[in-house]
Amino acid sequence: MRKLYGTALAAVMASAVLLTAGCGQGLLGGDDAGSGDKKDEPIVLGMLIPQSGSEAAIGPYMSNAAQLAVDEINAKGGVLGRKLELKTADDACDPQTAAAGANKLVTAGIHVSIGGYCSGATLPTLPIFAKTDIPMIIPAANSQELVDQKLKNVFLINGTGSQQAGAAAAWMTKEGATKVALMHDNTSYSKDIALRTQTLLDEPGGPETAILEAVTPKESDYSANITKVLAKKPDYVYWTGYFQEGGLIARQLRQAGYKGKIMVGDGSVSPKLIEIAGAEAATGVYATMTQTPDTLQGAESWIANYKQKFGADPGPYSNQAYDAVRLAAEAVTKAGGTDGQKVISALEGIDGFSMFSGPLKFTPEHTLSTGGFQILVVKDGKFVLQDALQ
Amino acid sequence: MSQLVWNGLFVGSFYALVALGYSMVYGIIKLLNFAHGDLYMLGAFIGFAVLGAAGGVSAAMALPLLLAVLVLTMGVTGLAGVLLERVAYRRLRGAPRLSLLITAVGASFALEYGMRAAAGADPRVYPVRLGGTSVEVLGARITLQQLALVAVAVVLMLGLNLLVTRSREGRAMRAVALDPKAAALMGIDVDAVISRTFFLGSALAGAAGVMAGAHYGKIDFMMGFLIGLKAFTAAVIGGIGNIPGTMLGGLLLGLLESFGTFWLGGEWRDVFAFGVLILFLTVRPTGLLGERVTERV
Repeated sequence: MRKLYGTALAAVMASAVLLTAGCGQGLLGGDDAGSGDKKDEPIVLGMLIPQSGSEAAIGPYMSNAAQLAVDEINAKGGVLGRKLELKTADDACDPQTAAAGANKLVTAGIHVSIGGYCSGATLPTLPIFAKTDIPMIIPAANSQELVDQKLKNVFLINGTGSQQAGAAAAWMTKEGATKVALMHDNTSYSKDIALRTQTLLDEPGGPETAILEAVTPKESDYSANITKVLAKKPDYVYWTGYFQEGGLIARQLRQAGYKGKIMVGDGSVSPKLIEIAGAEAATGVYATMTQTPDTLQGAESWIANYKQKFGADPGPYSNQAYDAVRLAAEAVTKAGGTDGQKVISALEGIDGFSMFSGPLKFTPEHTLSTGGFQILVVKDGKFVLQDALQ
Repeated sequence: MSQLVWNGLFVGSFYALVALGYSMVYGIIKLLNFAHGDLYMLGAFIGFAVLGAAGGVSAAMALPLLLAVLVLTMGVTGLAGVLLERVAYRRLRGAPRLSLLITAVGASFALEYGMRAAAGADPRVYPVRLGGTSVEVLGARITLQQLALVAVAVVLMLGLNLLVTRSREGRAMRAVALDPKAAALMGIDVDAVISRTFFLGSALAGAAGVMAGAHYGKIDFMMGFLIGLKAFTAAVIGGIGNIPGTMLGGLLLGLLESFGTFWLGGEWRDVFAFGVLILFLTVRPTGLLGERVTERV
């Protein structure tokens, strides 16, 4: 009986695999045939973002900004005479939901993917889009693991984990830190930055790593971790995870009597971090972060447009999402159509395309040639620019 | 060292409060109420709503106000527990144990995602926070507010223990736990006793929810999931169905986590805690103070 069940299960799984494989090919075939004659069909951009779950606050910042870019481009006549259309799907910052969402977008026939916020959730979507030659312009997710897949269709327009670690190490050295505690939440994104920072700190001359500590995300009490960290007497604590735990950790560090400095990674840059930590504990917390609407130079009119359209301020990654749409439009224009291979070649050939983070040119690894990480600091209840690290 | 002990006891008193409800419900109808952790979450959100309605308060008034909110929330969460039992569990009382268990998991999801629909997925932050200055006691840093929270937890647990061991009500509960049929024949209103058990257990979980909200500040719709599992672990370690054992189990689990983190590192803490659960289930399934199974059947 047990055996029979196993065989039946295997059969079901095998047919499921066949089915998905069949689907992929069918779609691919349809797409090839379609792109020639469907001149008045819209060019569909797919966007996987967290719309639910722990990171749900970020989703609207990104999809609104993408929609703003789509509307602006359409108002100017679209791309190659075709309108742009934005389709979003929820990844809930969860690998399984993300894979399901990616399959949904592929089935919906998107031409370019412009989503990806949580690295852990973005990672499993890479092969799904790669199989159907859909170019991916990833606006926010930036774990080195995404780069290490060496997939031709993947482009990262946010600074990478190693660039962030470089900024963190440079800043802590500049600040004269001596003993650094690195804390991460064991997710691929967070651990990657912590480990890379550790490698950089291990080089002689700068501060040293006092401890590398992992915490369990989604908990409330981190006092046990904090007791362990403070036993090593660090003068700098660098948290590389997301804002919910970041806020609690900053608060509990101060409650435990920690007097040194605290720095957080880009996943923790959110007004919610300040709210959770409380103004007192949050003030003076540093962050490694790429440009946000708040720190952009000369983006006032863009921010005003966003505010007028959505009745709220743009937030973290609004600018990257906006640029992702513009970049997709540029690449499709250069490629003369939506053929995946041609768009990928066009993206590789882009040189000096103007974005918020500066002129764009991809490295052979499809990452930004300069990370553009800056140091922010919490002041008067807001993250403001401390040092542009030029 | 003393800091580790204090961290463990503090977290453990939350586990114990939540675990009590698990244990009492299991003791009386042999149901693992997996929605129990979500009643803790519900309590935290009810407290949040009440505090929001109360408006801004000065720091000096924070503690008395929180106590008032605590009592109110306990009442409302308790009623929610009674409602849960009435709607989801009562009709299934005669059904196979598995049906009840699945219903409990379903109730848990319903509460979690119901709250997400009602309050949103974003974490919320309590308007009144217990920060406070810390004092050194035997080398451990303790805030007065933490002491107050632990005191409230201890008072609630002692009160519950008195209620169960000394009152008529408690005697009826113990009678139903021993043998519901015989209890009914002796003129005990079994349904009413079970309702009251749910009320008490849920009220304690609600109290823990408000206290966690006020201390840690951040609440979200999934906050009950992990603590529900931890409370279950605590109940099993101490002896599920046994009230002093459950309290002991909660404190012990808190200490295990605190020391596990320190010795093995944060990434091993849950492995350690749930490893202990497996160990107990295999070596001593009745827990530290649990009665022998043969007596129950």
